[in-house]
Amino acid sequence: MTDNPFPLSREELLKIYQSMRTIREFEERVHVEFSRGDIPGFVHLYAGEEASATGIMTHLRQEDRIASTHRGHGHCIAKGVDVKGMMAEIFGKKIGVCGGKGGSMHIADLDKGMMGANGILGAGAPLACGAALAAKYRGNGDIAISFIGDGASNQGTFLESLNLASIWNLPVIFVVENNGYAESTSVDWAVAGDSYVDRAAGFGMPGITVDGTDFFAVYEAAGEVIRNAREGGGPSLLECKMIRFFGHFEGDAQTYRAVGEVDEIRANRDCIKSFSKTVTSAGVLTQDDLEACDSKIVSLVDEAVSEAREADFPTEADLLTDVYVNY
Amino acid sequence: MSKSSSKVTVGLVANPFSARDIRRVISNATSLQVSDRAQIVMRVLSGLRGCGVRKVLMMPEKGGIIRLLKRDLQRYQQMGNNRFPELELTDTPISGTVEDTFAATKAMVDSGVKTIVVLGGDGTHRAVAKFCRQVPIAGISTGTNNAFPEHREPTITGLAVGLASTGRVPESVALSPNKLLRIDINGGERHDIALVDIVVSTERYIGARALWRTENLRELFVTFSDPEVIGMSAIAGLLEPVSRNDPGGVHVSLDVPEAASTLLQVPIAPGLIRTVGLQSWQRIEAGIPIILKRSSGTIALDGERELEFGTEDNVQVTLHENAFRTVDVGACMRYTGKHRLFVGTPLDLLPT
Repeated sequence: MTDNPFPLSREELLKIYQSMRTIREFEERVHVEFSRGDIPGFVHLYAGEEASATGIMTHLRQEDRIASTHRGHGHCIAKGVDVKGMMAEIFGKKIGVCGGKGGSMHIADLDKGMMGANGILGAGAPLACGAALAAKYRGNGDIAISFIGDGASNQGTFLESLNLASIWNLPVIFVVENNGYAESTSVDWAVAGDSYVDRAAGFGMPGITVDGTDFFAVYEAAGEVIRNAREGGGPSLLECKMIRFFGHFEGDAQTYRAVGEVDEIRANRDCIKSFSKTVTSAGVLTQDDLEACDSKIVSLVDEAVSEAREADFPTEADLLTDVYVNY
Repeated sequence: MSKSSSKVTVGLVANPFSARDIRRVISNATSLQVSDRAQIVMRVLSGLRGCGVRKVLMMPEKGGIIRLLKRDLQRYQQMGNNRFPELELTDTPISGTVEDTFAATKAMVDSGVKTIVVLGGDGTHRAVAKFCRQVPIAGISTGTNNAFPEHREPTITGLAVGLASTGRVPESVALSPNKLLRIDINGGERHDIALVDIVVSTERYIGARALWRTENLRELFVTFSDPEVIGMSAIAGLLEPVSRNDPGGVHVSLDVPEAASTLLQVPIAPGLIRTVGLQSWQRIEAGIPIILKRSSGTIALDGERELEFGTEDNVQVTLHENAFRTVDVGACMRYTGKHRLFVGTPLDLLPT
């Protein structure tokens, strides 16, 4: 038996690999399916950013709440939302996790603690504050995570949420997933102050920047801010510097990116490749372990697409359901 | 002021990303805001110009420092206040990584700068030291656990660098030699340096880079060990103080506290005092390679995990003396006071 030099067991490492690979396979497949014209609406793909969602979600309990973004598939999968239900939702089918009425940008599964992807930039931050306030009142150690992009971090809702979280000392983590572009605008042109850590400091909370393409960097940093929040230490901001393999949305010609940029990052900054190399070179997982995992994931996503294609769309009568909630 | 002083160019590397790591949460470390870093650079520039340095060659970056500098310098210029040197950027790429520092340092050395001023932590200084050759560096701490750069008012550092760069304080007074540690894996297949400390830990991943789990530490090498600093070198500093100017360094063998022969309380990060387990420690001499006892793990250079190694790797550490030079700010200013260099001499300012 090889000594395990990681803070995670072999089984946990395999589960993490499975989560990252499922996100990648899911997104690569949505990319293909969308190009065929069978998916309604827009999709924003998370491929390349898997280490962030998985590094954070590995620390969460099912009861912990997350508020996602328009680029939410990765967050959903890492939080445990059913992959087949997600694919059906993206295809707009009745068997989808939201009955086919939400689509890519509104996938939600409250049973899994996933409060929803969100088509409105910056709208998740106040929701996460609400969930964190509820958790604080319950006193059970639950926390909330607000994922937000670098562009949305300029929204008033985000800045107001930082203020609220700080004055109420809420157990919430603001994760700025900085992939360098707000749609097509570089952060160099769009973010005053230039540092999210500085923004956090302005609201009296600690901020950390990590390499969001390194699972272990995210995992370690997230572990500390989450522990801090669970123990009553209040909110923190975690900036994950990351990259996206695809455009802002499917169909984005990406003329704002340098020639060869995507090829370079796919070759040299792929978080799944670096994770695989780290765990196999340490002898904790083998290439066979990973390949066995890969084939199961390909089958799962194949089935998800087939079932989604064959499923029915919602009916007109479904338009009038799920509109109001009784408390 | 000598005529030649107007031709003197000083290099400047300001890291916008230091002090952003996990120690903001696991300890009570603070982060220096980008606007504060820009003001530090302005103070350095003011000191340099006051001593006759007319041109500064700076590393380009997109972290915000240069944007704020340009705004401030333009405002002063519009006011007719030219008490700052001309600022030029090296023609080097911007990636937001340590590669920027490497490239900019090389460009500065190639262009003939007299000195390089560095704003950052131990890691930033290490990056500059790797490529500065015989060009002296002057450090200003904007990092977290900084043992290498001194904590000092940047205006004074700017003045001292100006005095040293223009030759008003002789080299024999102004410059100090420094030690460094070199690490070689498999006979130099992979190699790197550290200015203060090399730490071997059992963790087999780089992760969030900073070191704070003291139970995982196994070996420590230091160039100097100051009991007044925080961080890994403080372990040696509290056992065997060795100054920057003393010959040799220190090698400490560590273990989990339960298995250790001795326990030591150490301030390993701001506000964070932890117990480390000790097995032994000894002074080391320059030029004699020491093979690591640990067969696999991670090697941290100046407080940040940088290199992974396994059982197949042969890893050795060697201390080097007189490896690079730094500006001795205190010595420069004492010389200035003793020789009254600023008395009766108008500062080399353009008319305002």
